[in-house]
Amino acid sequence: MTKLVGNKNKIYSLENKAKRFKRDINQWSIITLIIGFIIAIPIATIFFKLFSGPGETWNHIVYTLLPKYVLNTGYLVVGCSILVLLMGVSTAWIVSRYDFPFRKQLEWLLILPLAIPSYITAYSYAGVFDYGGTLELLLRYFSISAIKIDIMNMYGLILILSLSLYPYVYVSARTVFLTQANNLIEASRLLGVGEFKTFFRLLLPLARPAIIGGLILVLMEVLNDYGAAKYYGISTFTTGIFRAWFALEEPETAVYLSAILVTIIFGLILLEKWQRQKIGYHNDIKSANRLLRKQIQSNKKWFLLSLASIPVILGFIIPVMQLLYWVGLTYEEVFSFEFLSIAGQSLGVAILAALLTTIFALGLIYFTKWNKLHFIKNLSKISTLGYAIPGAVIAVGVMIPTLFIDKWLYKVFRSVFEINIGLFINGTIIGLTYAYMVRFLAVAYNPIESSTLKIGDKISESSKILGKGNFITFFKVDLPLIKKGVLSGLLLVFVDVMKELPLTLILKPYTISTLAVKAYEYASDELIAEAALPSLLIICTGILPVIFLNKLITK
Amino acid sequence: MNLLEVTTLSKSFDHGKTMALDQVSFSIKKGKVITIVGESGSAKTTLIRLISGLETPDYGEIYLKETLISSVTTMIPPEKRNIGLVFQDYALFPHMSVADNIGYGIKNKKDKNIRIQEVLNLVGLEGYDKRYPHQLSGGQQQRVALARAIAPKPELLILDEPFSNLDTMLREQLRNEIFEIIKATGITAIFVTHDTEDALAVSDKILVLKQGKLIQKDKAKTLYKKPETAYVASLFGTIIELTPSILKEFDYPLNEKKQYALRAQDIKIEKNTDYTLDACIVKSHFMGEYYQLEMESPKGNHFLIHVNKKAKKQKMSIGFNEKDLMIFENEN
Repeated sequence: MTKLVGNKNKIYSLENKAKRFKRDINQWSIITLIIGFIIAIPIATIFFKLFSGPGETWNHIVYTLLPKYVLNTGYLVVGCSILVLLMGVSTAWIVSRYDFPFRKQLEWLLILPLAIPSYITAYSYAGVFDYGGTLELLLRYFSISAIKIDIMNMYGLILILSLSLYPYVYVSARTVFLTQANNLIEASRLLGVGEFKTFFRLLLPLARPAIIGGLILVLMEVLNDYGAAKYYGISTFTTGIFRAWFALEEPETAVYLSAILVTIIFGLILLEKWQRQKIGYHNDIKSANRLLRKQIQSNKKWFLLSLASIPVILGFIIPVMQLLYWVGLTYEEVFSFEFLSIAGQSLGVAILAALLTTIFALGLIYFTKWNKLHFIKNLSKISTLGYAIPGAVIAVGVMIPTLFIDKWLYKVFRSVFEINIGLFINGTIIGLTYAYMVRFLAVAYNPIESSTLKIGDKISESSKILGKGNFITFFKVDLPLIKKGVLSGLLLVFVDVMKELPLTLILKPYTISTLAVKAYEYASDELIAEAALPSLLIICTGILPVIFLNKLITK
Repeated sequence: MNLLEVTTLSKSFDHGKTMALDQVSFSIKKGKVITIVGESGSAKTTLIRLISGLETPDYGEIYLKETLISSVTTMIPPEKRNIGLVFQDYALFPHMSVADNIGYGIKNKKDKNIRIQEVLNLVGLEGYDKRYPHQLSGGQQQRVALARAIAPKPELLILDEPFSNLDTMLREQLRNEIFEIIKATGITAIFVTHDTEDALAVSDKILVLKQGKLIQKDKAKTLYKKPETAYVASLFGTIIELTPSILKEFDYPLNEKKQYALRAQDIKIEKNTDYTLDACIVKSHFMGEYYQLEMESPKGNHFLIHVNKKAKKQKMSIGFNEKDLMIFENEN
């Protein structure tokens, strides 16, 4: 045998570590770090600004407004949690366990409320319950004296947000019920345990991690909401950030509020990680067979159908009907050349942002693979945290550093080239697209990453061993195989940008408008019926990917 | 000349806390086939990923044709090494036809089609060039993977558990065919397996890995006959460990510091062996090619032996010959 030289201490000596570092660092390590840095700047800004002290009104806000923000946000979080769990889990269970007429249609109809941004649902319900609103008109038609229901309060907001967000819980619970529950149900029934007990003792605990995962997404959207809360007059953290920035003109205060909000969100993320770790078993159980649906008698069939239809009717059909009714009243005024141009701008911005975000996500995924340093591999995943952070906060985080860079660029260009360039990033399409990228990187990253995981590394490794470099391997082998993931990433970012309101409101250039902003402006000017046309267009672009997404899930 | 030379190659995936591969050294002469044998977790795959350039070593060097290709300071990327690798699950490009798969690595554009036909003939898949991987059987995919790997005429061909996804019948047939192809092309090859039958059948030299350490390298026959440890012996066939108390019953002059073992078929039901003893059959199992008997000695020691014929008597003389006894240094 060969004589062994060296030992573990020598192999892992500092000198060898340094040598290996020098060997393994390559251009991809550096590019990955740069991309990570670019994406992290807004969040880092918020963090560092915390040390420069709050604004003048901070003390005033702490004593007068902060308790209200905390309380209101707390009510929203608790109320929405209860409602989305009730709606999401019950409907998921009904459509995966029982067979009844129109079940198949209902299965994907239940996802559709996700296509309506919550501020649009809020506008249309305001119209339904308003004085002289649709409900009153209908009741009067049947000669019933009108009952006045005020929806524009905390309870209303909870209902609205829950109706538009419960599909996150529905989708995640249904996936578990469909793919993992069959063996457990069969075993439980063989042991003579009833349907009710099986559900509460076995299936609910089994689906718990997935359900909570869905719930966390809901809560992030609740914390991100600006349009609905603003319209219903509820002060939350997000509306507070706007107020501090625009009404009080105190960026420092907005930063402080943002920081508190981000802390709450990171708390939620940690909670989610912890609950997943604590329950290690949920992935181990895999039923070979999909859940077999139970046939039931006819009375009960119709009961289940109507029960499971409630969220669809309330969350999709009623708002869309209301919008259609409004469009009928107002389209002649609203539909104009200006409107078409706004729709075009909206599409343009969304397409640009979707393309760039997808390219960045692809870059982040593949440059990380091509890089050989281990710590960078772990780091790159952090860049996708933007999705957890409310649009308003990201806007604040983008605004501060870009203003700084712009001022610097302005000075440089004036002194060196004697040109006045104005603001180059801030308040331009560059700044806006950058913010979208920070916020939606995860939306493109996740589907692409999961399709790369599905193919595995061996196939690209084969290509390299057969003598092809990174780029040829990427275009000839990887890209054709992850096409689906890339397309879904593109589509999902596109829709999210179309819907996005708070971030767009803060960062959009004066000359540009989007459908979401237009709808918001109409609604703020008490021209709520006029908001219907842009809203409907947003919903239309949102429905396609919802169907697409559903196909991906059920496959 | 050594085609491949590996010296003190080491790799850890947790900064040295556990060594996946611990200072492994060996070399291969041009045109030879060597086999790397080890159980799962022995780091066979890590070793070949290091050789093909898919992993970076923590320590040690790899030379291909006396050129340094991997070390603490040097790392030639896999695409510049001219090494062929057949993955365990083949890793064919699912979106390319058989011909495109095979042609992918061929550098000479002019002779590409001729070379594709040549290797298709070699692996016996003429006329399959327009098919796609999902239209092929497991054995056919295996052949395409081999064809793709040898098409660019690599210096060294590595096969990672190439038969583990095939059923037993196909496995033996394909093993013979593929090694005929390898011998015919004169290519130098490393063959990785956990199946020692595969290893004994095809290789010039066998390396045995255990938990990242190279514990023995020898010719097939030597490894089988003269294993250096009980572990290596047990990899190449059932062994019976002879404890001191059994050996005392056989009146064998044992050395307490050594370990003793026999292949299961080397305990004979005969009187005229070097060491004998009378034992009872406790249980008898029909195993197809042989009978497995559980024996009990007068002092109550139990052991299993393999015999060709069904035992007729309940009590019989069993024994072994000095030359069959395997003696190891005590591992503890």
